[in-house]
Amino acid sequence: MRRLPVYFLLDTSGSMFGEPIQALNNALSGMVNTLRMDPQALDSLWLSIITFDREIKEVIPLTELVSFQLPEITCPQSGPTHTGKALEVLYEKVKTEVRKGSTEQKGDWKPLLFIFTDGKPSDLQLYREMIPKIKSLNFGAVVACAAGHLADDKMLKELTDTVVHLDTADSSTLKTFFKWVSDTIEQGNKSMGTQESVALPPPPAQINLVI
Amino acid sequence: MSEIKSYIKNLLVRRQIIVAEDRRKLFEDFVANETNCTAVQQILDIQKMLMDKWELQNRIADIQQQPVSIPNGTVGKRYEAILDFKKLGWDDIAQYELAGLELPGLDFIKETNTITGTPAQSGDLKITFRFRLSDEPEDTPLKEKQISLIINPDPKTLWKNIDSDRTDPFWKEDNIAAFDKLGDKHIVVASKRGRSHATVGSFRDDDFAYKYYEATGWSIVVVADGAGSAKLSRQGSKIACKAIVDFFTENFNQESLVEFDQTLLHYKKGTGEGILKKLSHFTYNHLSKAAYSAHLKLAEAATETGANLKDFHSTLIFTLFKKYEFGYALLSFGVGDCPIAVLDKGLSEVTLMNWLDVGDFGGGTRFITMPEIFKDDKFSTRFKFKLMDDFAYLVLMTDGIYDPKFVVEANLEKIEKWKEFMNDLQGNNENNDKVELDAGNKDIASQLSTWMDFWSAGNHDDRTLAIVF
Repeated sequence: MRRLPVYFLLDTSGSMFGEPIQALNNALSGMVNTLRMDPQALDSLWLSIITFDREIKEVIPLTELVSFQLPEITCPQSGPTHTGKALEVLYEKVKTEVRKGSTEQKGDWKPLLFIFTDGKPSDLQLYREMIPKIKSLNFGAVVACAAGHLADDKMLKELTDTVVHLDTADSSTLKTFFKWVSDTIEQGNKSMGTQESVALPPPPAQINLVI
Repeated sequence: MSEIKSYIKNLLVRRQIIVAEDRRKLFEDFVANETNCTAVQQILDIQKMLMDKWELQNRIADIQQQPVSIPNGTVGKRYEAILDFKKLGWDDIAQYELAGLELPGLDFIKETNTITGTPAQSGDLKITFRFRLSDEPEDTPLKEKQISLIINPDPKTLWKNIDSDRTDPFWKEDNIAAFDKLGDKHIVVASKRGRSHATVGSFRDDDFAYKYYEATGWSIVVVADGAGSAKLSRQGSKIACKAIVDFFTENFNQESLVEFDQTLLHYKKGTGEGILKKLSHFTYNHLSKAAYSAHLKLAEAATETGANLKDFHSTLIFTLFKKYEFGYALLSFGVGDCPIAVLDKGLSEVTLMNWLDVGDFGGGTRFITMPEIFKDDKFSTRFKFKLMDDFAYLVLMTDGIYDPKFVVEANLEKIEKWKEFMNDLQGNNENNDKVELDAGNKDIASQLSTWMDFWSAGNHDDRTLAIVF
């Protein structure tokens, strides 16, 4: 069966400590519950969550939605944002986990990537080195979300055309964002040209698409 | 040194009191004093009591915080999860019960510590595990721990069937089926909107067309699959099918076919030179013009509606066939991921009439709307000519059928897979839905339509299947 692999890279650096990380947990849980009510997602969606601060953690390896259990995502009180290192880990995961089609094997749907961050990469050089590699993975969509005034939209723009900016990382904004993420995921399993990307649904009002 | 003596000694040390050499005797007497001994013993007992209590509470907190994950269930599916006390390290639990499992269909069997049953309702359950440790007195109130249990809904029940908008200028019927004579053969064909479209009330993107050209004796079957990602693809597939049928109505006439007929005769007799090349050339020449005419019609439609050509993205396959005295000639073209196959009379051999455009990832394919396919080096390989004595079935299908029934390309080449497929059509399936492929069968079209409702997890695309027999 064709899987739709969806990767989440979540910033758990020091600045997320407190209310933001709680809001993130709530929003993720809301998103998973929404997806559970979608028959298409129940049949094909696989989720992976990788968090990054000083360390990169694969919180949940690629798991089908049906067996998916969301753990509480925690973060240290302070520390850097190793976005580049996170992309490096992601690159290896996607390369080994996502199945490509052949005459003997059904290919997965193009994987989707969502990056959520409230800061800028502390490991800028590695971050920039990883960008072409991530692009070579041929994601159906890469959506980067910059939350709060410290997040660097421009830096994310180097990685993907689709950058959204949230003014705050509060509970209601994050909920809206992740609802949009689930809508986007639902677009992810449609036939399209071999080189094309997934068409994204229009984002809701609180979410500003960075042009 | 006795426990009491060392306690007093430590006490003095903590207070930074040093017992001088000449007070040694005094210290020994102090330690030996009965009242003092009793006092120290009491302190030690109280300390031990406090320590035990702390350890106990610590242990309770450990258990309460210990992540316990039990597998998710799904409504309607048999569920069983064991709370393995040994694995969880819960050997010190003396008494326990499970509450909050009041979900229809699930029970907790205490003898085996198993949650079992067939859940009848979905939800995110918070189960309360109440327990007492063996070190706690029997009358201690039970401590509580939350365990979550996720019951997924049954995906089958989540699909909705919302009618598509009939007022839309490009509306097409959600489900359609037909049966007809096609020269000396017959065609049964059905095209059904996939569940993924029905659940959001969107349109069927697949289409088909067929025609018997009386003047020439040729017949054609066309199938097209509009791209799920393109907003007007339902119209794209429709235009493509019609364009092909129209092209051969206009361009396939006795005159233009005289040469082909003669060449074919030579081919059959094995006379003449470069015959196969001539036939291939003829196939390429006519069919490529037809394919290009479909492309142009789509480009026209895009201009007319002010939309982009890629909004009309559609795959396209078609086969022309004609009965000659010495057998059937078949000519095919294909772009996209929909297969065409011919099965011989004895079902001993399958001939694939096209190759599939499949990318590294699911859903990635090519469309007749893409101008680059006509310039591609492989364009000339998209055509096929075949002469056979007779055939049992000529089958054209969209990926909505191919994906669940054949899964991968390699299976299309296997005659056993096709035999399975034909058996499936003859009722060998979980619903016992049967299509009696007999020209005298008045219900044949509706039988095919019903058969095409088969359930296949993860395969909810539009389905189109045309069988010529």
